[in-house]
Amino acid sequence: MDWRRFSFIALIIATLFGIVVSIGHEQTSPAIIITSMLATTIAVATPLTLGALSGVYCERAGVVNIGIEGMMLSGAFFGWLAAIYMNSVFNFSTMPSLLIGVLAAMLAGGAFGWLHALLSVTFKVDQIIGGTVINMLAIGITGFLNRQLFFEKGSIFGGQVPHAPGVLPRIQLPILADIPVVGRVFDQQPIAITAILLVFLTHYILFFTRWGLRTRAVGEHPRAADTVGINVRKVRYANVIIGGLMAGLGGAYFTLESVPSFEPLMTNGRGFIALAAMIFGNWTPIGSWAAALIFGAAQAMQINLQFFREMIPAQWAFLQQSYIVGLAPYILTMIILTGIIGKNVPPAADGLPYEK
Amino acid sequence: MKKLYLVFAVLAIAAMVLSACGPSGGGAPDCTKEDVFCVGLVTDVGKIDDKSFNQSTWEGVKQAETELGAYVQYIETTDAKDYAKNIATFADAGYDVIVTVGFGLGEATAAAAAAYPDTLFIGVDQFQAWEYDDDASNDLANVAGLIFPEDQSGFLVGALAAMMTKSNQIGAVLGTDVVPPVWRFGEGYRAGAQYINPDIEISVVYHNDVGFDKTFSDPEWGATTANSMIDKGADVIFGAGGKTGNGAITAAAQRKVYAIGVDTDQYYTLPEAAPYLLSSAMKLLTPGTFDLIKLAKEGNFPAGNFLGKAGYAPYHDLEDQVPDDVKAKMEEINSMLLDGSLETGVAPVKPE
Repeated sequence: MDWRRFSFIALIIATLFGIVVSIGHEQTSPAIIITSMLATTIAVATPLTLGALSGVYCERAGVVNIGIEGMMLSGAFFGWLAAIYMNSVFNFSTMPSLLIGVLAAMLAGGAFGWLHALLSVTFKVDQIIGGTVINMLAIGITGFLNRQLFFEKGSIFGGQVPHAPGVLPRIQLPILADIPVVGRVFDQQPIAITAILLVFLTHYILFFTRWGLRTRAVGEHPRAADTVGINVRKVRYANVIIGGLMAGLGGAYFTLESVPSFEPLMTNGRGFIALAAMIFGNWTPIGSWAAALIFGAAQAMQINLQFFREMIPAQWAFLQQSYIVGLAPYILTMIILTGIIGKNVPPAADGLPYEK
Repeated sequence: MKKLYLVFAVLAIAAMVLSACGPSGGGAPDCTKEDVFCVGLVTDVGKIDDKSFNQSTWEGVKQAETELGAYVQYIETTDAKDYAKNIATFADAGYDVIVTVGFGLGEATAAAAAAYPDTLFIGVDQFQAWEYDDDASNDLANVAGLIFPEDQSGFLVGALAAMMTKSNQIGAVLGTDVVPPVWRFGEGYRAGAQYINPDIEISVVYHNDVGFDKTFSDPEWGATTANSMIDKGADVIFGAGGKTGNGAITAAAQRKVYAIGVDTDQYYTLPEAAPYLLSSAMKLLTPGTFDLIKLAKEGNFPAGNFLGKAGYAPYHDLEDQVPDDVKAKMEEINSMLLDGSLETGVAPVKPE
C-alpha cells in the first residue's frame, strides 16, 4: 500500500463530504449529513468493491477480466431467480431463500469465471475478446430468461412476476453501531459488511500466504513460476473462478440487498467502474476499496446536493448540474492514470496467455 | 468500450425477439360494417392484467362494452418493435376506435393515424405536440391524447405526506425532470406539501445524472436515494419514475416508513411495499378512457389533447393510521382541485 495514494484518496473523500456539509449545514446538522453520506457511500461502493476484488484476483494471476460487468449481471439475475424459486415454488421462508439466492449469485459468477478461464487459459483466446464475450452472453442470457420465465404465457410463473421474498436485513454490529456519527457504518446489510471483510481477507491472502505468493508469481513471471514447479494453469483457473465468485456476490447486492427486483442491464456499467477502481487502487485490494469509496462518495454527494439544491451559493451554481458532480470520479481516474500520484504498475504478465 | 458494449447488447437482445399474438377470432362481428362499433386495445409491453396502466385502461374499454354495446378486443404487446404491427392488426380489421396504452406507443400511434384516416385513435399518456404547432400538415384529426394533470396528483399526495410526517421531513424520488409529467409530479408534490405546511423540509430528487434509457429503470439508484433521505430523517417517500420510483418505494417499506406510489394504485403492483403504502398519486385511466370512447361513439371525437382527472389511491392497510381529519382534508383538497378553486401553481414544463 503506498501511502501517498492512500492519503490522496482520503483527501478526495473528505473534500466531497466537506463540500456537502458546507452547503447543507444550515438546514441539516453536519453529523446527520455525514452519517447519511457514509451510509450511501458504503452501499454504493459495495458492488464496486466486490467487482474490483474480482479484478484483483484475476489480474494478479495474469488474466485481464473485463467481463466483471457480465459476471455481476448474471449474479444479479440468477441470485434473484433462485430466491424467487425457493420462496414461491418451494415455499422456503424469506431468509433461507435469500441466502440460497446469494449462493446462486456467486455460483453464476463463478460459472462465468470458469468460462473466462477456459477461454483465456486453455484456449488462449485474447482476454479482452473473452471478457467481451462474457458481457454479451450475460446480457443475452439474463434478458432472454427474464422474459421467457416471467413474461411469457404458459411459463412457470404464468406471465406474472411473483412476489419477491424481499431483501437482506440490516445487521447492527454490537457496540460499534452505537457510536455517534460513524456508527451507521457498522449498521449495514450483510453483503456490504462481507465486501469490507473480503477486502482485508484478500489483502492477507495475496501478500501473506503461499497461495498469494504463487498467484503474484504467476501474474508477474509465469515462466519463472513454472520452473519452480507452480502449476500456472491451475493457479490461473482457481483465481479467475474466485474472481467470478466475487463478481457474482457483487451482483447479488443489486437484487437481494438493494431492491427485490431485476431489470435487464441492471448493473449499468458498474463492472467497468469497478475495473477503473481496481486500476485506481493500483491492483491492491485495499487501494481498490478506497477507490470504490471515492465513487461511492461522489454518488452520495450527487444525491445530497440535490437535497440542498436551493442552498448552493451562486458562484458554485455548476454543482446544481448533478451530472457534473457525477463526472468527478472519472476525471480523477484519468488523473491517476497519468501517473501523477505514483506510478501504476500492473502485473507484468497481465493479459498474456502462458505458452509452455 | 461502452458504446461497443451497447451495440452488442442491442444485437444480442434483438436476436431473441419473439412475435406477438394477434386478436383471437371466432364469433367476432364484422367490424367493417357501419352499425358494428368495435374498440381494440394495444397494450404496452406487458400483460393486460398488470394491475397498472394496461389493466386500468382495459377496464375503461370494458365499460364501453357494457354501457355502449361495443365489441371489444385487446392485443398484448410482447416487444416494443411490434407496436405498429399490433395497431395495424386492428386497423386492418376495420376497428372504429383503437386505444394504445402508454407514452411508448406515441410514435406508432401517430404513424398509424396518418395511415388509417378513418380510424379513431386514443393514445393514453401520449401528449399531442401537433396541437400546438403552426404547421397544419402535422394535424391529425383522428388522434386524441389522453393526458393527465400530474401536478394535481402530486399535489394531493404531497399534502397527504405533509400531514402524515412526524419528523417534518419528506422526500420524493423521481425519474428525469426532462419528461414533463415527471417534473409535474415532483413539483406538484412540493407545492402540495407547502400548501399544508410552508416550513416543511422537502427533498425532491430527479434522476438526471444518467442517460434517458436508464432514468426510469434504475431501481438500485432509487433505493439508494430513498435510503439516503431516510437516513437524513425523512419519514414519507414518494416514488415516481417507473422502476426507479419502485426501487424507492420498496426501500421505504424496508425501512418501515410511509411510501407513496404513482400512476395507478400501486398497492396491487408492489405487494412487497403494500403494508407501508400510504396512497398513490393516480391518473384516473378508466373514466378517462371511457369518456373518450363515448365521445367517439357519439361522433364528437375531440382530436388533440384530452385532459383526464387526477386522484389518489385508497389507504388500504393504513386506513386506521390515517386520522379522520386528514381524510377529510384530503377530500376537501381533491374537490377544490377538481372544481378549479385551488391551483397547484406548477408550470407545465421545467422552466429554462
